[in-house]
Amino acid sequence: MSIWSEAASVVPAILSNDTWEMKNAFYSDGMWLFGVVVTLVGGILAHLLFKAVPFVERHLERGVSVIAYLVIAAIIFWGVVDRFVFSNQWSGSTTIPPFLFMIMAWFGCSYNVKLRTHLSFSEFRSKMSPKGQMSALTMDTVLWFGFCLLAITTSLRFTAYSADNFQMVDGVDNVMKWWFYITVPIAFILMSGRVVGNWLEDWGNYKAGNPIIKTAVIGGDV
Amino acid sequence: MTDGTLIGLISLGVTILFMLGTPVLLVIFYWVIGCSFVIDLPLDNTGNELLNVFNKGFALLAMPLFILTGDLINQSGIARRLSDFAYSCLGWLRGGLAMAALAACGLFAAISGSNSATTATIGSMLHPEMVKGGYDERFSAATAAAGGTVGIIIPPSIIFIVYGFLLNLPISDLFIAGIIPGAMMVLAMMTAAFIICTINGWGFLIKLSPMRVIKTAIGAWLGFFAIGLVLWCIYTGKASPTEAAGVTVGVCIIIGLICYPLNKLMGDDGETPVEEKSAVSMLVVKGFTIMSLPQIVSRSAQITGILVPLIAISVAMQQVMSSLGAKEFIGAFVTGMGGYYAVLFTSMAIVFVTGMILESLPVTIILAPILAPIAASVGVDPIHFSVIFLVGASIGFITPPYGLNLYVASGVTGVPYFRLLRYTVPYLIALISMWVLVALIPDLALWLLPAR
Repeated sequence: MSIWSEAASVVPAILSNDTWEMKNAFYSDGMWLFGVVVTLVGGILAHLLFKAVPFVERHLERGVSVIAYLVIAAIIFWGVVDRFVFSNQWSGSTTIPPFLFMIMAWFGCSYNVKLRTHLSFSEFRSKMSPKGQMSALTMDTVLWFGFCLLAITTSLRFTAYSADNFQMVDGVDNVMKWWFYITVPIAFILMSGRVVGNWLEDWGNYKAGNPIIKTAVIGGDV
Repeated sequence: MTDGTLIGLISLGVTILFMLGTPVLLVIFYWVIGCSFVIDLPLDNTGNELLNVFNKGFALLAMPLFILTGDLINQSGIARRLSDFAYSCLGWLRGGLAMAALAACGLFAAISGSNSATTATIGSMLHPEMVKGGYDERFSAATAAAGGTVGIIIPPSIIFIVYGFLLNLPISDLFIAGIIPGAMMVLAMMTAAFIICTINGWGFLIKLSPMRVIKTAIGAWLGFFAIGLVLWCIYTGKASPTEAAGVTVGVCIIIGLICYPLNKLMGDDGETPVEEKSAVSMLVVKGFTIMSLPQIVSRSAQITGILVPLIAISVAMQQVMSSLGAKEFIGAFVTGMGGYYAVLFTSMAIVFVTGMILESLPVTIILAPILAPIAASVGVDPIHFSVIFLVGASIGFITPPYGLNLYVASGVTGVPYFRLLRYTVPYLIALISMWVLVALIPDLALWLLPAR
């Protein structure tokens, strides 16, 4: 099968709602091509969503991260209280939080793309000409897309594999691991949307002759 | 072209990306991807690591929770009380405010586990007062940056958590081993600050008042309680470090929520000087409302969203380096240096140089699994080596070109990055002296450990 037909076969596999079909289709080389489409089209759609609904733009990733953070803290805190005070402990108190941690981390990562607060050595970039800065930012955009592409493609494979094997979270009944894994490609599609939005903003500033690079302070815009 | 040449070119390429300001996360990611192509590693390996790192991540969870603790004690006003206490103890000495900032960093580090949180909190709190107090703004910013280094040595520490997680060492033992070296680092930096301030005549002296010391100590009781709680949980083994972090977060939230209405009832506007406050009003802190909780957590989530992806991708990098035979290469190089001290100091040199160009998390994830077994093979105690390694990694926070604390301090104080470098030199000398001392005297790290 050619890579194009492999890519095309991913869509019917998803529509079949059969994890076996999905896993087989996702583990073909054509999945990378499908991943490119999801990354780019998903990113553009996410960007349009952010533009259309400012509330989502401001709060989606942040809200998911904060809720996951608080739930993790609550589960662990209660786990200790439960053990010392009631001599009891919910078996999921040590197995569910790592999955919530995963959700928190990748949605938080996407939000940091929006804020441009990922750690970098920006001393030379800030001294470049506007053209040089715009080129560097465009290069970052391409690199972020590559990162999103790999993460979306492989996490979809991982999710399908987990679902096909009926992997359950240890210590709890009826909680499937793939319910958590599926959030990772979603977080990366949102990240791709942030990358689109950032580049458009930079391009607008470049064309208007405004400063392109602004100092981002960790913890500043939250 | 040979694989070695290709990997050399890839490394050169990502170094250029780094210098052009591409985020470190992407720099490491593309090095991993490039090398994966060269050595025929499937890309799924890297992708899976972005999820796998969490599968076994309960121990790693202590990291975001201790970051959150730092933000909670900052917002609740406990950090302010700790720095008031430090100032009332040290303000009578030349450079007292600078030394108080460093002591406050040490106290803050004993509740939080993050270097950048320590720098950001103490820097934003005390920098304006230091500048008002006649200190050079570059020195003030450098003090905040240097003080933050102990954030990862004095327990709890997010990097000790990662180190223990990677090398399967008891995190509680690592925490305990960091207590004396962390305290010594603070003392060494305070000495450096005292000398610089004495030479330059910086700072106004305040009279040492036992009454003020007692009052501010009462005011800082919640901070001492939180420090005691963390240490008690870890030292007695009643709870794992992650559980200790969860308990501290829970306690800080409860304290913050209870103190807010109490503080309002007492009519404290936050501006009243310590001398005019009653001892009773010092018992409660500013606190926060339940509505402001998401805002506080959001900041911690942002920092976690920077650091955790870096951990995941660094684990992938470590795997690629293993496949490339880096372990054997570095191992042969280090062991070729000779015996115990030669291995120790060569390892320290490698950590120091790598810390100048990489963030401490990747440094730890990449080098610790390589260097720790080599050190163990020449008889260095694994816990002792962990402290040596991480003191070195913490020094990397203030070494250019890539010193994270320097960026954070520059961000919160507004002093440009390159301008504050000059005043980090005395602190670097102090920290490196302590580092060598910790390496030469294993008991500094091992003395407090329970019988082993």
